Amino acid sequence: MDPDELEFLGEKVYVSIIPTFNNDGIHLISGDLGPFRASLPVNVPLWVAVSLKRQKKCKIQPPDWMDMQKLEYIKEQEKQSSGFTKMPSDHYMVEAKLLLECAPDDIPRADEVRTIIKDIWDIRMSKIRSSVTKLVKNSDFYAAVDNLTVMEINSVRPILPHALDHLFRMKNTEKTRPTQSSNVSSFLLSKRASTSFHLSPVTSSNTED
Amino acid sequence: MEDLTIDDLDNISTGSDDHVQITPAEVIEMMEEAWTNEKFAPEILPNKSEIVDIILDQITTMEENIKKLSSSDFTKSIYQLEVDRLRFLVSSYLRTRLEKIETYVIHILKEEEKRVERGSEKYLTEQEFEFAKEFSFTMEQYFDKMMRFYPGVPADTWSNKIIQPNNNTFVFLKSKKRIEGVPIDEGNAESDLVDIQDGSRVIISYNSVAELVKNGDVHLI
Repeated sequence: MDPDELEFLGEKVYVSIIPTFNNDGIHLISGDLGPFRASLPVNVPLWVAVSLKRQKKCKIQPPDWMDMQKLEYIKEQEKQSSGFTKMPSDHYMVEAKLLLECAPDDIPRADEVRTIIKDIWDIRMSKIRSSVTKLVKNSDFYAAVDNLTVMEINSVRPILPHALDHLFRMKNTEKTRPTQSSNVSSFLLSKRASTSFHLSPVTSSNTED
Repeated sequence: MEDLTIDDLDNISTGSDDHVQITPAEVIEMMEEAWTNEKFAPEILPNKSEIVDIILDQITTMEENIKKLSSSDFTKSIYQLEVDRLRFLVSSYLRTRLEKIETYVIHILKEEEKRVERGSEKYLTEQEFEFAKEFSFTMEQYFDKMMRFYPGVPADTWSNKIIQPNNNTFVFLKSKKRIEGVPIDEGNAESDLVDIQDGSRVIISYNSVAELVKNGDVHLI
């Protein structure tokens, strides 16, 4: 999936804004927003917040987790844990990207926040890479990915599903054509014998292929 | 916000005959789910035309209302933005289905025919079915004409090579309830079973979960 499409899904998350205008409410198809009273916080979907912010009609209150102390803690946890820790939001990358882009002035220590979120992402990505390698090496056809966020899952697509597809096909071909592969192995064995390479016993012909 | 009363939404209601109260927000959620499912499933899924129709109705009503707003009203852009977002959602969903129909047209028509014979639920909408028939007809005509230029090649070679979706492909899913005994397809006759917890996320072969996707127990992500 295109990252933009994931962003589209992530933009539904609610954030708190402090409007600078008065309005009796916006009645959207997806539900009513407001009423808006200047300087009273109100919850709106991220896409509304971004749009209002661009029109300079509100201040955005960053989500609880977008705070250096909390992020330091998350990073430390992520470093120490061998598995994946639960992220505060399923769309943390989308939220971070949009809010840091359009409202850096509303986020305390925005630059540090940006760096630390990138650090957390990098730690998780390197874990993902090593688990993918492990999965493919074991040729497991099932894995739980509970604490991965959608953006992270998307980052291993299409390579991981494709790799598993190929493994699956190879495994199936092995199963359906046992006679052929045994012919091949006996052929290889006889070849070896005739050229008198019988110093080490051949255990698996597949590796010689 | 007004609640919609939807009578003909059997497949997403709990199966009771009572009127189901569904808010537009919930319909949008269903649409998003149908969209991601359709995007990640290798085969074409049962159509969700009821949901699409409801959303299109909502869009039309909203557009009427938007016209009434004065252009100096800053909320107009927000209303318009929501309409654009929903329109994108619906068109991306429909386009994904059309792409599948174009790629697997012969296979899809065959499967649909089998479903009609069995008397089970159709997957394509009327319009999609119409499109599929016309598309396959034009394609056949085209291939037949092209084949005349290659007299050496048997004319029906191409029609024996049907493109089929790879249902063994691997998908990521999120479970909406606890499901026991999902077989892990490893290509063997005997397969291991796995229990999927409510809310958990897994990667698994589409074959193992195709039914669960169609009845809405799991959601492809």
